[in-house]
Amino acid sequence: MAQIELKALQKAWDDAVAVQDMNLTIQDGEFVAILGPSGCGKSTTLLMLAGLYLPTGGDILFDGTRVNEVEARHRNVGIVFQSYALYPNMSVLQNILFPTRFQQTPDAEKRAREMAEMVQINQLLERRPSQLSGGQQQRVALARALIKRPNLLLLDEPLSNLDATLRLTMRAEIRRITRDLGVTTILVTHDQLEATTMADRVVCMNAGRIEQIGRAEDLYLRPDTLFVAGFIGSPPMNLISLPHPLIEAPSIARTFGLRPEALRPAETGLPAQVTHFEPMGREVLTTVQTPLGLLRFLEAGTQPLWQVGDSLHLTHARDDAILFDGTGARIPNATALITEQGYA
Amino acid sequence: MVDWVKLAQRSRLGRRLRLGALSVFLVAVSIPIAVPYIWMVMIAFTARRGMAETGTLWPALVVILVGLGIYGVAMLWLRRERLAIVMGVLTAFLLGLILLGQDLHLQNFRFMVNANIIDDLDGQGTVGERYPWVWEAFANSLLLASTQTVIVVTVSTLAAYYLSRFSFRGRNTFLQSLLVLQAFPAITLVIPIFLIVFWVGLLNTLYAPILVLTALELPFFIFIMKGFFDAVPWDIEMSAMTDGASRREAFWMVVLPQVRVGMIAIGVFAFIKGWEEYVFVNGLRTGESYWVMSTYLYYVREDVMGVDYGMVAAVAVLYVLPALILYLFCQKYLTQMTLGGVKG
Repeated sequence: MAQIELKALQKAWDDAVAVQDMNLTIQDGEFVAILGPSGCGKSTTLLMLAGLYLPTGGDILFDGTRVNEVEARHRNVGIVFQSYALYPNMSVLQNILFPTRFQQTPDAEKRAREMAEMVQINQLLERRPSQLSGGQQQRVALARALIKRPNLLLLDEPLSNLDATLRLTMRAEIRRITRDLGVTTILVTHDQLEATTMADRVVCMNAGRIEQIGRAEDLYLRPDTLFVAGFIGSPPMNLISLPHPLIEAPSIARTFGLRPEALRPAETGLPAQVTHFEPMGREVLTTVQTPLGLLRFLEAGTQPLWQVGDSLHLTHARDDAILFDGTGARIPNATALITEQGYA
Repeated sequence: MVDWVKLAQRSRLGRRLRLGALSVFLVAVSIPIAVPYIWMVMIAFTARRGMAETGTLWPALVVILVGLGIYGVAMLWLRRERLAIVMGVLTAFLLGLILLGQDLHLQNFRFMVNANIIDDLDGQGTVGERYPWVWEAFANSLLLASTQTVIVVTVSTLAAYYLSRFSFRGRNTFLQSLLVLQAFPAITLVIPIFLIVFWVGLLNTLYAPILVLTALELPFFIFIMKGFFDAVPWDIEMSAMTDGASRREAFWMVVLPQVRVGMIAIGVFAFIKGWEEYVFVNGLRTGESYWVMSTYLYYVREDVMGVDYGMVAAVAVLYVLPALILYLFCQKYLTQMTLGGVKG
């Protein structure tokens, strides 16, 4: 177990910068998710932490000690790849035991069986990886990563190859196991649900930079940047360019954001015409055409209350609006309102 | 109304006709390939005293056709492969014994126990000459083929791994030149190679064909092996290195087992290439410094007293045997070579 610190970390290839100026401190035993779209540098960061990539700038510290040049095999890090990367030529037990071949592990086999029990694959130890389902392979990979009691557990999109139900179970499983072992864990994912449900803190990355670090609700309610606002939340936030004659907002604001659940139908307000429905279980996502362009709002209920072509009015609370300046940064404590001038 | 039953019948009939036509075509195409081998074996076991015994060739084909027919009928009626094979072979054996039994003999294989084949044939015709001994040629061929195989497999595996995994200046040019080298017919190089071998002082030694063949075969085999390494995911190697393996250990323990099929395949091809080689073994010796199977076969054929076709065929049978056995044992690996893939 270790405290991990990244200081101005940078990784550049000949022609491109993958990660730059990355500062992050992860507490001992903490579960942190690095969230971002593909190509944002999150996997590169992970491979630098594992010791497989050499940073081109900045430092990586494990418990305050600089480990930049320490080879992967000496860092005592466990890793689970999206493909699971099991060794096809070895049985499940041999796979789990593989890391113990390189360091003194008393009772290695007993420990491997404990690990197998913890991830519930003790019936499969003699099988080959090719005979296992995706979920089982995932569990083997997890047991293999944990057998040497790693300082740090790295998970690279571990759930992406699983089906939806299995993903739900494995999310809870991984969380339970990492909490039981108290291991510091970094999860890399492009799936915001994975990040927000599993992690203590979420690091949102874009184009090689950290956009925001915080708890899931911070990122959702108080996005620091326009990117975070657009990336977090499903369905995504409504974003409208400012200035706009129908929106009353501070003059420095350049973008007006409003979550779909903040908009609601009312007697008066912004006129809208229904164009599309998406029932989402207990809520219905409705797309409407308005003078501000296409907007989306969420309404409770399993059945749509409207029909395509219906006219209605929308309104929202002044405090729900989120405003961003020309650089894309959020303007703190600013409020805005869609006005009804001429449409009442 | 669609007549499903009739459509299904038509489809079944169509499938049978297509399969039947395909079988007839394949049989017709394989006749010119298979018949020479059958006759070679027949001549080896039936020809007498320098005369080609054509009388046995047609009955031999009849025997084989009847055997195949019995096998086919047995397969259609009983649908049990092994039983059908046993029945076919048994029928062919019995029929062969009846039709050809009195013509079979082992006289043509006397070269295997007596080096002095010419004296043996024509009394005191050629006294004082040094006759090549077939087992010396056989051992030399074996040495040539296996040494060359070991070198080719080792070098191409290591080179292909490097080409597949590391980027370095000139890598693409190197890969392209590998293919360009393959485009030149090797025979155009005979004279320059002879000169080089002469200057180096390896003329009339077995080292010369071993080195020359290795050099000529390497480009193609490196290319094939690179394909196999390309198919091994990076994740597995990175996983092994975080598990505590050094790069070399990861190569040995995790990557190499996955390209085993490729190594066996190129090994077989390299062996057969060395075993059948004629041009460079003959071109790089000026006298009779060493004999290999191909030059021995040529020597037997070249007899001034008239060709003993029976013995030529017998030598050919011995010559074909090792390659055939190797092929039979490694067949399943060779068919996987075209896939060039690794299945997990």
